[in-house]
Amino acid sequence: MSVFEHNYRAYTGKVTPLWKRIYVLARYGCAEAWSSKITIGLVTISLLPFVVFLVLIYIANNPIARMLIFKGGAEGFAIDARFFLTMLQVQSWFALALTSWVAPRLISYDLADNALPILLSHPISRLGYVSGKFGALFIFLSVVTWVPCLALFAYQSYSSPQPWVANNLPIAGGLLAGAVIWIAFLSILGLALSSWVKWRVVATGTIFAAVFVPAGVGAIVSAILRTRWGSLLNIPMMMSLLWQRLLGAPEIFRSRNSIPTTAIVIMLGLACLLCAAMLNARIRAREVVRG
Amino acid sequence: MSDMHDRIIFENVSKFYGEVLGVNRISLTIPPGITTLVGPNGSGKTTLMNLMTGLVQPSSGSISVTGLSASNATDFFRSVGYCTQFDSFPRGITGWQFIFDSLMLFGMSKSDAFRLTLEALDRVQLRDAAGRQIAGYSKGMRQKIRLAQAIAHHPRVLVLDEPLNGLDPMARAESIALFEELGRQGMHLVISSHILDEVDRISDRVVLITGGYLIAEGNIHQVRQEVRDKPMQVLIRCDRPELLASKMFAVNHCVEARLHADGKGVFLRTGDVDQFYSLLNGIAIEGQVKIEAVAPADDDANAIYQYLIGSDGSAS
Repeated sequence: MSVFEHNYRAYTGKVTPLWKRIYVLARYGCAEAWSSKITIGLVTISLLPFVVFLVLIYIANNPIARMLIFKGGAEGFAIDARFFLTMLQVQSWFALALTSWVAPRLISYDLADNALPILLSHPISRLGYVSGKFGALFIFLSVVTWVPCLALFAYQSYSSPQPWVANNLPIAGGLLAGAVIWIAFLSILGLALSSWVKWRVVATGTIFAAVFVPAGVGAIVSAILRTRWGSLLNIPMMMSLLWQRLLGAPEIFRSRNSIPTTAIVIMLGLACLLCAAMLNARIRAREVVRG
Repeated sequence: MSDMHDRIIFENVSKFYGEVLGVNRISLTIPPGITTLVGPNGSGKTTLMNLMTGLVQPSSGSISVTGLSASNATDFFRSVGYCTQFDSFPRGITGWQFIFDSLMLFGMSKSDAFRLTLEALDRVQLRDAAGRQIAGYSKGMRQKIRLAQAIAHHPRVLVLDEPLNGLDPMARAESIALFEELGRQGMHLVISSHILDEVDRISDRVVLITGGYLIAEGNIHQVRQEVRDKPMQVLIRCDRPELLASKMFAVNHCVEARLHADGKGVFLRTGDVDQFYSLLNGIAIEGQVKIEAVAPADDDANAIYQYLIGSDGSAS
């Protein structure tokens, strides 16, 4: 039997706010993802279109370069909403590729290594844990989506005559909003699917499948039932429509395929709720083996 | 300090995972010191620990850990240190990062985290290996780094799931010494262990659990005395064990006598310890038998485990 001395002193120092603790997890996640050479390669490749678009903006705003390259036949070449829509669409595919690679590294490893009990025995809730991982993924995807898009917008603003910025400022807002919606959706989708598939390679495939398989099903539904609502399962198409409207670009799909913005928002909201439910079911301190 | 703020209190706590029983109607009060959870695999020990550490919420009942509930997450988790049973480390990190980032997750400032990391690594004697990746650690080192992570933030309650597994005898002795020191200082240590000899050595009290039900709790000797349906075995060292055995058998409560292998003692099993000792006193006074030592022979965790849970894990 111990003789209690009662001289043990618990830590009584100051505690950092919750966001700082979540930031630790986000930093952890970024470090984990960045430790892979494939991640570095993917991010680098993702930024190559940025260089191409940068050159295009330079050419568009340089009369001598325009004359030399287009030889006076480039009337249709303009830096406008359509140009930035194309840029956003291109970057969104890279964001999807990056999500499929990075998201499983953030969650699947913790589940496979049974690291959740240790992490969740800290003053950080399951929501905090997911927020940290979400933050890490969001940061990565930001680097390849709205950051380069807005950088190009800023360059175009700098290079073009003054009235261009005043007339096209909504494009910047549309770029930011459109990219944030997409990467927020990709982040939660990536995390949710990764939480259910412990094997990282399969998780990567599952993320791609979650985007393309419903699109195929939607196309079949639309063709068989002769309805446009099958497009609600086509995430790339929905996002393109949303971006086009946010940026104020001309219609890119035939009007019979068009679906209302409200329906797109509701569909994305439902998908996010489903992902949240999946995360809620899987992100637990301990795994229960039934039987 | 009131009792509630110095105790871990389970009040009628049940935990079900769907249809699977974790623990059922557990009422338990754990004072400071070393408490060992003993039970077969799947008995509910880890569930009890997860409840204590706030990792799972009870299906019914309430839990207070030194006056705190898991709903007050920041204070609660700072008060509790948990050393898990499994190798569970975020991938690719070093021992130092593991402890330091853990402290940052507890909400420490960088300077405090730095100081406490060094202190924890010193306590488990892993400072030299702190810069290496945990993936390259031996099993014993992994166990130590888990222990360092659990104690680094100076919790008031330390919950250790099989903390001696995988340790060599030297590391085991060091860990036990650390537990005993922390227990003496007034910390709550709740340890689950299958190594019953060590349970005897380090525990102030035991909690026996099987099938999700609490079987017994308290000081090992008290628990043994409460097990009245199992006659207690006493070893008596004396010069004339046969005579002593025959005298003892004159009374009803003595049910078994077995000579010690060296012929200089006898194991006697009795259903009434008080009467037994009273009779033994009489014999000693008579002087016919010269008694050298009297000691309980089945007054340990192993015996209690066998009596209450049985070798097959089902409570008897």
